[in-house]
Amino acid sequence: MKKIYLENKIPVIFKENKNTPRLALCLYLKIEDQEKKAGLYSILNRLLLQGTSNRSAEDLARELDENAIECYSEMKHDFIRFKVLCLNEDIEKALEILEDIVKNSTMEDFSKEVEKMKGEIEAELDSPKSKAADAFYKTLFDGLAYGHTYTKTLEAVGNITKEEIQTAYKNLLEKSPKVISLVGDFDEADMISKLNKYFGTLTNPPKEANDDDCAQLTDNKTVTVEKSDASQAQIFQGWRVPTIFDKDYPVLLLLNTILGSSGLSSRLFVELRDKKGLAYVVRSSYEVYDKAAAFSVYIATEPKNIKTSLDGFAFEINRIKTTPVDETELENAKNNLIGKRQFFTETNLQQSSLYSFYEDKGLGYDFEEKLIAAVKNVSSKDIQRAANEYLKDPHVLTVLAPGEYLEF
Amino acid sequence: MLIEVTKVENIKKTEIRYPFLPAPVEIYERENGHKIVFAKKEGGLVNISSWVKTGSINEDDEINGISHFLEHLMFKGTHKHPAGYFDRTLEAKGAIVNAATWKDYTYYYVTLPKGPDNAYFYEAIELHGDMMIDPVIPENEIGPAFELGDNTVKEKRERHVVIEEIRMRQDQPWTKVYNEANHNMYKKHPYKRDVIGFAETIASVPRETIMNYYHKYYTPNNITTIVAGDFDSEEILKRVVEAFDFKGRKNTPKNDFELDAPEAKYVENFAHINTGFSIIGWLGPVACSIKENIGLEIANIILGEGQSSRLYQNLIEKADEHIFNVVASDYYSFRDGGNFFVQANFKPEYKDKALSQMKTEVEKLAEVEEREFKKAVKKLKVRFAESAETVSDIADTIGYYMTVCDNIELVEEYQKELENITISDFKDIVKKYLPLEHAVVSVLMPEKKD
Repeated sequence: MKKIYLENKIPVIFKENKNTPRLALCLYLKIEDQEKKAGLYSILNRLLLQGTSNRSAEDLARELDENAIECYSEMKHDFIRFKVLCLNEDIEKALEILEDIVKNSTMEDFSKEVEKMKGEIEAELDSPKSKAADAFYKTLFDGLAYGHTYTKTLEAVGNITKEEIQTAYKNLLEKSPKVISLVGDFDEADMISKLNKYFGTLTNPPKEANDDDCAQLTDNKTVTVEKSDASQAQIFQGWRVPTIFDKDYPVLLLLNTILGSSGLSSRLFVELRDKKGLAYVVRSSYEVYDKAAAFSVYIATEPKNIKTSLDGFAFEINRIKTTPVDETELENAKNNLIGKRQFFTETNLQQSSLYSFYEDKGLGYDFEEKLIAAVKNVSSKDIQRAANEYLKDPHVLTVLAPGEYLEF
Repeated sequence: MLIEVTKVENIKKTEIRYPFLPAPVEIYERENGHKIVFAKKEGGLVNISSWVKTGSINEDDEINGISHFLEHLMFKGTHKHPAGYFDRTLEAKGAIVNAATWKDYTYYYVTLPKGPDNAYFYEAIELHGDMMIDPVIPENEIGPAFELGDNTVKEKRERHVVIEEIRMRQDQPWTKVYNEANHNMYKKHPYKRDVIGFAETIASVPRETIMNYYHKYYTPNNITTIVAGDFDSEEILKRVVEAFDFKGRKNTPKNDFELDAPEAKYVENFAHINTGFSIIGWLGPVACSIKENIGLEIANIILGEGQSSRLYQNLIEKADEHIFNVVASDYYSFRDGGNFFVQANFKPEYKDKALSQMKTEVEKLAEVEEREFKKAVKKLKVRFAESAETVSDIADTIGYYMTVCDNIELVEEYQKELENITISDFKDIVKKYLPLEHAVVSVLMPEKKD
């Protein structure tokens, strides 16, 4: 693995995996100005694949499909990321199409795209889990773009204008620092030349130090959502915790592994599912953005079990705060976390995505090695300290259930 | 063609070429019928899976859901190791451990790093074999039988976990509308049943029934064990054979079921939702009819896969009225006959128009252009490259052919048919399987707004 720079100083991470049939490329465009109106970057992201000055939306979709090129973009509040996958022999075509999308999107179908997005959101909100998650995240991240959920978007999207989208697109092209990564079987000199040809003239300003104040959670908040025909209650409980830039990032990763994300052997799984039969799905999550992060626990259970489940969460969170994790459990959690990272970085696309993610964050493309070393150094005391420091009030609790179960 | 390479002890070895893998796939068949398949892929990860030829296909109304319930209970310990040991030991080595049940099969898998001197790999083979061959399924892990709605139940164990899984699915509109279509497409064949079964059955089925089911279907000729990764075949064969000592277990006779004749039907249900959901489905060919399966996979790509598909372009992108929120198609291949379906989410006030437009797009499939036909064929070719990227995907593809088609040679036939299929073949297949007069329509509409 190595890093080179294009003529415009865009860093490119190369990793050669010989004898693999498909190349994977990621292109990051950092979002420097977070959206004020919910949905702005979601619409912009959708419009990026809806036609350029050279290709209509239909032409674009057809040309990608005819060449079996997968090309899509994702908006994650801090960045827009293009992911491209193609057979090795089709890379030139893929780069040419990607360049066209990045530089020449017309944003013409603005109104239609807004309507399509609203329809998709309405369909998604017919899922009780999505509805509960929506209420949870918009409360936990209130005042931040990370809290711009489906319902927030539905409320705000009518006030977004085409001009605002076009300005945001222009800013993204001109003000956004960019990162590229390429993983697969390729000739390095040839790829440097191709990448310079297609992306070497993009504006690539240096990263700005961004120390904006970040809206904090100040009080406990409980949000109930009534759904009269729900067979299960959907319960989310969560806290705002430090991000990937904090020294406690590896500690929080391990805390999450031990509590509820190691698969079939995590504490929540064993205690609430295996021993108490409360749920099919019960887990914890640690989701990280640039300026904020969420640590949450989730269960879907028969509505009459709401209180038992909340007591179960409280018991397990209290246990990890008060009783040190024994060395065997800690060692197992470290091996689980480190070993599983191999599984989640097996394909060229997964690798490309991870290395460019780290580079985009300014952590360096080789952050993975440093992270693994840091995980190995976490002690039982670190876990206990972090649990006490971060899994404390204020918290957000969201419960979706039929009305008669919402007094708990 | 299968090539017989050699005979070692009582194990017959054959090989087939598998696209995008560095070496041929090796198939070992033991005298008792247990099959072991090795696929080589460079890297530090290995996958060990066992695919069992049973699922809801072997259930009736009395035991609907037992295959899936058994899959959960297989993780509850063996005579050597207590419940939880398997998950804890392997997950502590970075393993992904899980299982899944479908209509034709149930499979169990471990994907993990090989570890120092293959230590994790060897332990995983041993524990996986032990779990497959010697499950205890203790009463205390199943939990006492109970009547649904009985609020006095104190000891809630795996019965309750599976019932929660059933509840979860009851809250999913797509699952609801698909199940209703499925139930009306297969009227006699056991495929008509939902794999997860009924909460009443799970609450009451006795351990003895579950154990009898296990012994009937988890037999040597019903199981294929697959290992994918970078390893020495001789060493791993020895270890898999040792781990899978069936101790003379009697094999399972082949089951045959009467196939359903396709017949049109319309069913409408209601839920507390705000949008409309619909599935229009047709019965498909048997899984081993490769050319016909390819034909319906092409139909799926042209009609409803991705943004360049006709359904998306014609009913969403170019539509004069905003009727559809989501529209796509899919094709499930099953041993005795799969199903092809178009699925949509729409504004409920446009229900009739939505259904009519979905049907029209299917009807127009016969008017295929060479360009879109070629696009679909290329996409299917690339799919093999995609499925060779991870040890898990390689094992899944092999497991499917070994279990559902009972013939891994079909991987080679698939490549050949994909090269040879013509537009004329495609039109014949569409005409045979997707006539409107055979369409089963399932609709889920809003009953009350929350």
